[in-house]
Amino acid sequence: MTMLRHAAVIATKDLRSELRTKESINSTLSFSVVILLLFAFAFDPSPDMIAEFGGGLLWIVFVFAGALIVNRSFARELPNDCIDVLVSSPASGASLFLGKALASFVLLAGVECICLPAFGILYNVTWWRSLGGLIGVLALGTWSMACVGTFFSALTVNLRLRELMLPMLMYPILIPSLLSAMMLTNTLLTGQPIPSDFTVWLRLLIGFNIIFTTLSVYLAETVLVR
Amino acid sequence: MDERNITFMFYGLAVAWGLLALYAVLLGLRERDLTKQLDTLKRMVEEKK
Amino acid sequence: MRTKIILALGAITLPFLLRNLHMIIFLVPDDLEQGPVYRIFYYHLPPYFVAAMGYFTAMVASILYLVKKDQKYDAIAVSATEIGLAFAAVNLITGMIWGRISWGIWWAWDARLTWALIGWLVYFGYLVLRRAIDDPTERAKISAVLSIFASASVAITYKAIEWWRTQHPGPVLSIRTGGGTLDPAMENMLYENTLALLLLGAIFLLVRLRQEEVQREIDGLRRFVHAGN
Repeated sequence: MTMLRHAAVIATKDLRSELRTKESINSTLSFSVVILLLFAFAFDPSPDMIAEFGGGLLWIVFVFAGALIVNRSFARELPNDCIDVLVSSPASGASLFLGKALASFVLLAGVECICLPAFGILYNVTWWRSLGGLIGVLALGTWSMACVGTFFSALTVNLRLRELMLPMLMYPILIPSLLSAMMLTNTLLTGQPIPSDFTVWLRLLIGFNIIFTTLSVYLAETVLVR
Repeated sequence: MDERNITFMFYGLAVAWGLLALYAVLLGLRERDLTKQLDTLKRMVEEKK
Repeated sequence: MRTKIILALGAITLPFLLRNLHMIIFLVPDDLEQGPVYRIFYYHLPPYFVAAMGYFTAMVASILYLVKKDQKYDAIAVSATEIGLAFAAVNLITGMIWGRISWGIWWAWDARLTWALIGWLVYFGYLVLRRAIDDPTERAKISAVLSIFASASVAITYKAIEWWRTQHPGPVLSIRTGGGTLDPAMENMLYENTLALLLLGAIFLLVRLRQEEVQREIDGLRRFVHAGN
């Protein structure tokens, strides 16, 4: 399918450009670790407290990191009118969006892979006990952030207060998926399997991903074409 | 307790009417502002002629 | 012509609202458990219906704008969203006051309340986004897309109450529960006040729509006036 092929090309381009300069990854990583530190000062959590809100804490860190990464996603195309070049290329708006969302997903996943052990060390949490489930939930939550975030990055790319507007618009819309991810991650971090009444959260997370991925892919062309 | 109950009922009703009245006032203010802008521009168009 | 419609509607609506207020304070029976404070309900649930209608109208108008590219749909979208926000604010704040007496707390993080707040923030973001875009066509397109996203988000809201246990009272209207747990006198009053507030919302909408048209006229005149210089 040409659309997926184009998306792959764009994702590779973004990732290659990011890995060469590492500007976004470095700042995002250090920012995330600083937030972990600040939370330790804010709450000074005991193991019981961590069992209660560890998942939430982790996702707040990911969400702040996510905003930084997706902001760069379309912003990096602004100099030299690269965005006009991309839009007028044979790649459809949908594949352009998908490619960038994929790249953001990979970058965000990379940040999470480092944050998770850091979190484990700083807060004394053995997070690897339900690793399979945890990876699944992280992947789903991260995709929802990458997808919605990249779409809003496209939406706000030409605005004056982009850095401020992007999180402001993105976070309320992401709340259902963040909520589900936080609830599920909390349980999984304690090593227990997901209880039966928590499957609502899983269903919500998956449903959210399906709905918003579809919407974003469908509307990407409209947003990007001037 | 019952007195507090009725007091809060009045607060609630007052808030409902108050917010809607506030919005009506906001619409009125915008109306006045727009009319003023329109009049100024119409005058400028006349002067242009 | 439109002014006449607005004035005529106003002539019907204001007495209607006042008559409802009179009935709500004096004539409707008391709730056995909660006492008189439950009467806030008549200004808590109807505004929710009006706000929901406003948001729905905005969503339809946004889709129509993307399909037809006619600016009048954009005007309807922004007007309907603004009015929805006003009534949603009434819903939220009356809910908080009622909750303070009924449950003892100003706020509870249950599904429905939380989502009402999120919905408000999402649509407020729509208005903020509009302010940040100067070009009318671009603004109409971008806000139409955001409005569709917002509506999807709010749609999940509506479903949320069926998926979680909540602290919020469950459905009480007879159309939802089949038999109804609400006294018919109360239920009728509820519908009557909904109608009154819908009429009020319609008046606001017409006024706001007219203001959008005036704004467009101003933009056009401004371009004309500055073009010669």
